[in-house]
Amino acid sequence: MEIKLRNLKRNYGSLHAVDGVSLDIPSNTVYGIIGRSGAGKSTLVRLVSMLEKPDTGEVYYDDKRVDNLSKEELMQERRKIGMIFQNFNLFSSRNAEDNIAYPMEICRMDKDHIKRRTEELLALVGLEGRGKAPISTLSGGQKQRVAIARALAVNPSILFCDEATSALDPQTTRAILALIKEIQKKMNLTVVMITHQMEVVRDACDRVAVLDSGHVVEEGLVSDIFSSPKSSVTKDFLSSLTNVQESVVRWSKEGGHYTLRFRGTKTDEPIISTVSKATGAIFNIRAAGVQNLENEELGIMITDIGPDAETAARAVALLRENGVTVEEDA
Amino acid sequence: MQTMINLVLQSTWQTVVMVFLSTIFSLILGFPIGVLLHVTGSEEHGGIIPHPVFCSIISRIVNILRSFPFLILMIVLMPLSRLIIGTSIGTMATVIPLSIAAAPFVARVIETSLKEVDPGVVQAAKAMGSSNWQIIRKVLIPEALPSLVSGVTLTIINLIGYSAMAGAIGGGGLGDLAIRYGYQRFRPSYMVAAVIIIIVMVELIQFVGDRISARLLAKR
Ligand SMILES: Nc1ncnc2c1ncn2[C@@H]1O[C@H](COP(=O)(O)OP(=O)(O)OP(=O)(O)O)[C@@H](O)[C@H]1O
Ligand SMILES: [Mg+2]
Repeated sequence: MEIKLRNLKRNYGSLHAVDGVSLDIPSNTVYGIIGRSGAGKSTLVRLVSMLEKPDTGEVYYDDKRVDNLSKEELMQERRKIGMIFQNFNLFSSRNAEDNIAYPMEICRMDKDHIKRRTEELLALVGLEGRGKAPISTLSGGQKQRVAIARALAVNPSILFCDEATSALDPQTTRAILALIKEIQKKMNLTVVMITHQMEVVRDACDRVAVLDSGHVVEEGLVSDIFSSPKSSVTKDFLSSLTNVQESVVRWSKEGGHYTLRFRGTKTDEPIISTVSKATGAIFNIRAAGVQNLENEELGIMITDIGPDAETAARAVALLRENGVTVEEDA
Repeated sequence: MQTMINLVLQSTWQTVVMVFLSTIFSLILGFPIGVLLHVTGSEEHGGIIPHPVFCSIISRIVNILRSFPFLILMIVLMPLSRLIIGTSIGTMATVIPLSIAAAPFVARVIETSLKEVDPGVVQAAKAMGSSNWQIIRKVLIPEALPSLVSGVTLTIINLIGYSAMAGAIGGGGLGDLAIRYGYQRFRPSYMVAAVIIIIVMVELIQFVGDRISARLLAKR
């Protein structure tokens, strides 16, 4: 299902938590929404998932407007979406399978059907035979699997994930993201993934919107945003990623005035030596690496360019001509 | 000796009946009020149908009733007993003021237990399209159950204490026995017997309540 947001606003007192957000979230994709803490991500997802009404603006699922539904319609419409959370939010009074059964119970589905569907879902998320397990006995990753199964119980067309992997360790995060991607393809879901981790966007999303103080500051294909970030927030997120990523090898702590980003095929071309020969520039490479995005490889190089500023400027211009994104430190 | 045993047994039975019935009636009265207090409370505290005016009105009433000294409440409510049961003395007549006096306490205990339920879990239930009634019945109450059991245990123990006081104004039961025989007729053995039985009852209820609550938690 396609989701359209038109100029959404939500204030808490004088605070503009969501301040004029318009987005088109295409159907059948994993769509990331990234932002710092307090950027308004959770508020936005509550508006989009009909948990809260916007002060102004509209939300459409396909072409149906859903932000102004009556109470009864709202309950019906909510039964067509799934949602998972950072803290899992499972019912501690129910075991794994009864958690998964809950959304079907409230729709008054037939008992046999619920039983069959629960088994199916447990298998889908890789928890066969753990149906009777009390929630407290499950690990974080297993809890999130139960939560995913519960969210998918009623065959939703949209899955909202609010920081779904933030409470998990890196391995478990990757496993859960892989599961979400697999399910997305299997069920043709539209997945809206809220996160503050660039790794999650890199590993799971097709498109991403960057949110800052309630505004969308940047939106597009993940590969575009990674190779040519425009806003400073995005650049911050990307640099935090390069610092923590072991795929970028840094052999000198100092220097590194320029950050070069190469896309896809260009990673294989000898651009640096071409530019060096053409301009006479000398590259002193401080760190470099490759990041694997969903569909593409992205090369990163942190370097100084010499011997003088004029040559460097010519080199940068030529690099840009060749489709390399160059950022210069202030 | 024989008469003493008979009297003690009879009084114990009266206390058991009084406490049992007033527990049930105070729960019938107080439980829905406790649920209402919680669900109409503010959203930050997990209220699912926030209604500040309604909530603060019941809250006020509950507070006023709770601040009445129990003995005064009993005396005020006596005409009500006469109206319903036909008399204002005796075990059955005491059940009515006891239940009404304990109901606001029950309401607060229930409210407090429900407030402990993780608001995230309630939000999840809401996001799945639960009706308010489904949230109360299938989420709030089951999630709060161990704590609710502790609350009911506390209520019963309080009612044992109240029922002993009710004895002072002719309600029967162990409190009555202790005052009439132990105090007014200077027979300390009656006083001692009554006190010991009350202590045993309280211990027993606390033990059973704790066990049930622990059992429920262990299953999670
Ligand atoms: N119910 C509320 N009442 C008042 N203010 C709120 C409420 N919910 C959110 N806010 C405020 O709105 C702003 C955005 O909050 P939000 O929870 O959407 O941020 P977030 O991007 O999800 O952050 P985080 O990464 O920490 O979860 C914050 O400043 C927050 O304090
Ligand atoms: Mg949040």
